[in-house]
Amino acid sequence: MDNETVRTICYLSRLKIDDKYKEKIISDLDNIVEMIDKLNSVNTKKIKPLFNPLEQTSRKFEDKPLSDNKKEEFLKNAPESDKDYFIVPKVVE
Amino acid sequence: MSIQFKTITEIKKLLRENKISHVELIQETLDLINQLSDLNCFITTNDEYALRKAKDLDLSKSNTSISGIPIAHKDLFCTQGTLTTCGSKMLSNFTPPYDATVVSNLENADVINVGKTNMDEFAMGSTTETSFYKPAHNPWKKDYIPGGSSGGSAIAVAAGIVPAATGTDTGGSIRQPAALCGVTGIKPTYGRVSRWGMVAFASSLDQAGPICRTAEDCALILDKMAGFDEKDTTSLDIKAPKFSSKVNAPLGKKTIGIVKEFMTDDVPKDVATTFENSIQTLESIGCKIKTISLPNIIYSVPTYYVIAPAECSSNLSRYDGIKFGHRSKNAQDLESLYINSRTEGFGDEVKRRILIGTYVLSSGYYDAYYKKAQQVRRLIKEDFEKAFKKVDLIMTPTSPSEAFKIGSKGQNDPTQLYLEDLYTISSNLAGLPALSMPHGEINGLPIGLQLIGDYLDEETILNVANIFQKNTDFHNKKPSLEEWL
Repeated sequence: MDNETVRTICYLSRLKIDDKYKEKIISDLDNIVEMIDKLNSVNTKKIKPLFNPLEQTSRKFEDKPLSDNKKEEFLKNAPESDKDYFIVPKVVE
Repeated sequence: MSIQFKTITEIKKLLRENKISHVELIQETLDLINQLSDLNCFITTNDEYALRKAKDLDLSKSNTSISGIPIAHKDLFCTQGTLTTCGSKMLSNFTPPYDATVVSNLENADVINVGKTNMDEFAMGSTTETSFYKPAHNPWKKDYIPGGSSGGSAIAVAAGIVPAATGTDTGGSIRQPAALCGVTGIKPTYGRVSRWGMVAFASSLDQAGPICRTAEDCALILDKMAGFDEKDTTSLDIKAPKFSSKVNAPLGKKTIGIVKEFMTDDVPKDVATTFENSIQTLESIGCKIKTISLPNIIYSVPTYYVIAPAECSSNLSRYDGIKFGHRSKNAQDLESLYINSRTEGFGDEVKRRILIGTYVLSSGYYDAYYKKAQQVRRLIKEDFEKAFKKVDLIMTPTSPSEAFKIGSKGQNDPTQLYLEDLYTISSNLAGLPALSMPHGEINGLPIGLQLIGDYLDEETILNVANIFQKNTDFHNKKPSLEEWL
């Protein structure tokens, strides 16, 4: 895995890798990719992918409120909030 | 009278005969947690709540099959009002406003939740070394790993602190720590137990289950844990049986498969000899052993290490420092808030898996890795389906070795540790139920026997495991704990 690929997947993952660990991360990822590349030797022609082990599509349920409004409790876990909203850094100038 | 190392059945008898009160039971449990704190198996304890509930139970007439039993929850089950960290800095300040269904089902059966157990960060690991709250220790030998990711739960049961704990299993995270700590744990069929309120790792693989001292106790806990839950969209809309009612049934003629592909020279001699001994034990209690072939099972580990990281990278995208979890103090704008919060909040193994997951899902690689792995997953499932036409259960070792020293494996190459999951991963990929129970020891450390069952047939697994335990003594062995007191 080259530097450019690692840079791209770090950005897509919204993660930053310190330069001093970059070599180790690349070596770890290379080892993992080498391991998963073993799948190339399996003939999967005409085999349907299996996304759910029981082949069930997720059940849908009616969109209706099921519990009390817990706004205050949910906001308690927010790193920054006022009484109604989550607060984020300014995004519009 | 000490309650340490007692089973649920034994504790219930003491409570019923008024030889111990709920308050005495919980006080001793909390004392044990304190005395054995160097094991580092708990992240949070619930002293006040547990004692209050014990007092209430002493005054009430509640008498379910598990009422009053002290239980520990893996720290990825949401517990209303109690810190739920998932072993991560990211959730080190997260107090859920609701209970996971597993937690509320057990609360309704009047168990007493004494605390939350240590685990690999976000359940990613098989050693409990990746926890933000420092590694936990195997009670059988100081400085040895307990297995993972439900390491804290397995330790709490193995050290006799609680008779039961909850765990989750994405690739072996109930069975492998149960094996390495000398206790019994079962991962039910995918969909049997609700995932609602479990912090998600890989949603098509995750399943919760109990870790106890015996198969009989696992059945008692599973009776209350399992069942349909409307809130989990992959929950099976099938009435769960009363698992404990058939656990003592006569075995009848059971055929157990041994996997040709696992009978290689790579299996360490001690592991192979112990396995041979268990074959003889099972034959002596009337089981017939038959060699079967699962040709694609050798691809389980690479298949899993595409699918699990892919689902992990998607599930963990929710941690952005906005609504809950760690928020970086070093952010100038929204983008750097996301990046810095995630970079500071996640540990190395979680980052590795997010990166691999993102890679296999990224444009140009999706078909080559993700779709390919899901195709191989179908082949693995079909192999099992063919096998279960010929056998009632499949037996394998639970892990390729006994516990090893903390920090001794996987430092230079993480795939070394991924191979620890060799025997356990395939039942997650196929969604099958599987149990591990102790069946011997190597160098004074326990190892486990795995029984894999057909879909929804936890009853046969628990029945055979229970009869095995009635005829052997491995599950009664206890660590001395002298090093820890």
